[in-house]
Amino acid sequence: MSESEITLDAGHAAVLEPSPYAVQSKKLTMWLFIISDAVTFGAILFGYAYLRIGTPNWSTPFHFSPNIVNGLIMTFVLLSSSLTMLAADAAAKQGRKSSCLQWLGATVVLGIVFATLHLREWFHMFDEGWSLSKNPLGGSVQFGATFFSITGLHLMHVISGIIALIVIAIGYNTEWLDAGHVETTGLYWHFVDLVWMFVFPLLYLMNVAR
Amino acid sequence: MTETNHEPGMKEYVAIWVGLLCIVGIETFLTSMNLSTHGLLAALLILAFIEAGIALLYFMHLKYEKPNLFWSLVPAVIFVLFMMNHIWPDAYRMVNLRVPIQ
Repeated sequence: MSESEITLDAGHAAVLEPSPYAVQSKKLTMWLFIISDAVTFGAILFGYAYLRIGTPNWSTPFHFSPNIVNGLIMTFVLLSSSLTMLAADAAAKQGRKSSCLQWLGATVVLGIVFATLHLREWFHMFDEGWSLSKNPLGGSVQFGATFFSITGLHLMHVISGIIALIVIAIGYNTEWLDAGHVETTGLYWHFVDLVWMFVFPLLYLMNVAR
Repeated sequence: MTETNHEPGMKEYVAIWVGLLCIVGIETFLTSMNLSTHGLLAALLILAFIEAGIALLYFMHLKYEKPNLFWSLVPAVIFVLFMMNHIWPDAYRMVNLRVPIQ
C-alpha cells in the first residue's frame, strides 16, 4: 500500500502529527530566522564591547545635544512604531481591514522617519570626517568601524522591514495575504526594535564624552 | 507562561510602551553619572536585557504561545551568547601577543 493510499484511508489527521508549537509554519520560520539573527547581532555586539573596553585610545565623540537627543528621538519613534504594529496586528486578527491598513501605514511612516533621522546623523558624521577607517579626533579608528557597521546592519533591517510592511499591506488589501502574514511581519518588526534596545545604549550612551 | 491565549489589549500595550520609554530614560540618566566604563556597560546591559525580555514576552507574544516555543528558542540563544562570552576573554590574550608599535 502506497503512502498516498494510507493517507486517503486514514485521513490527514491520522498521518500528520499536530504542531508541537501550535503556530503556523510561517510564524515558526520567522522565529527561527529571528533567533539566528539575534545570534548574529549578539556576535557583533560582543565584538564591539570587547573593542570598546580593550582599546585604550577609544574616542567618545557624542554629546547629549545633538547626538543623544537625536538617538532618544529615534528610540521614541522606533518604540512607537512597535505600538502601531501591535495595533495593526490586533485589527487584522479582528478582521478590521481598513484599520489594519491605517496602522500598517503609520508603522511604515515611523520606520521611514527613523531611517531618515539615522541617515541624517550619518551624513553629519561624514561631514565631520568620520568613516569606517577614519577618526577626525585622532584616536582609534575602531569607533567609526564598529559604529557604522552595527548601525548600518540595523538600518538595513529597518529598510527591509519597511519594504516587507509595504508588501504585506498591499497583499492584505488585495486578500492575497491574511492576518497571519501581518502577525509574522510584526514579529520581525518588533525584533528590529528589540535589537535597537541594545544598539542605543551600547553604541550611543557608551560613547558620550565625559 | 500559560497555554491560554489571552493577549493584552492596547491599554496594556501602551503601559508597556511607557515602561520601556522609562527604562530608556534611566539608561540616559546613568550616562550622566560618573560610573566607570565597566560599571556603565554592566548597568546598561542589565537594563537592555530587561527591555528585551519585556519586548519578547509582550510585544512578540512569546508569553502567550505554548511553552514549547519558549523553551525551544530562548535557551538556545542564551547558550550561544553564553559560549560567546565564555571565549570572549581569550581575545584579550591577542592584545598581549601583538608586536608593540615603536
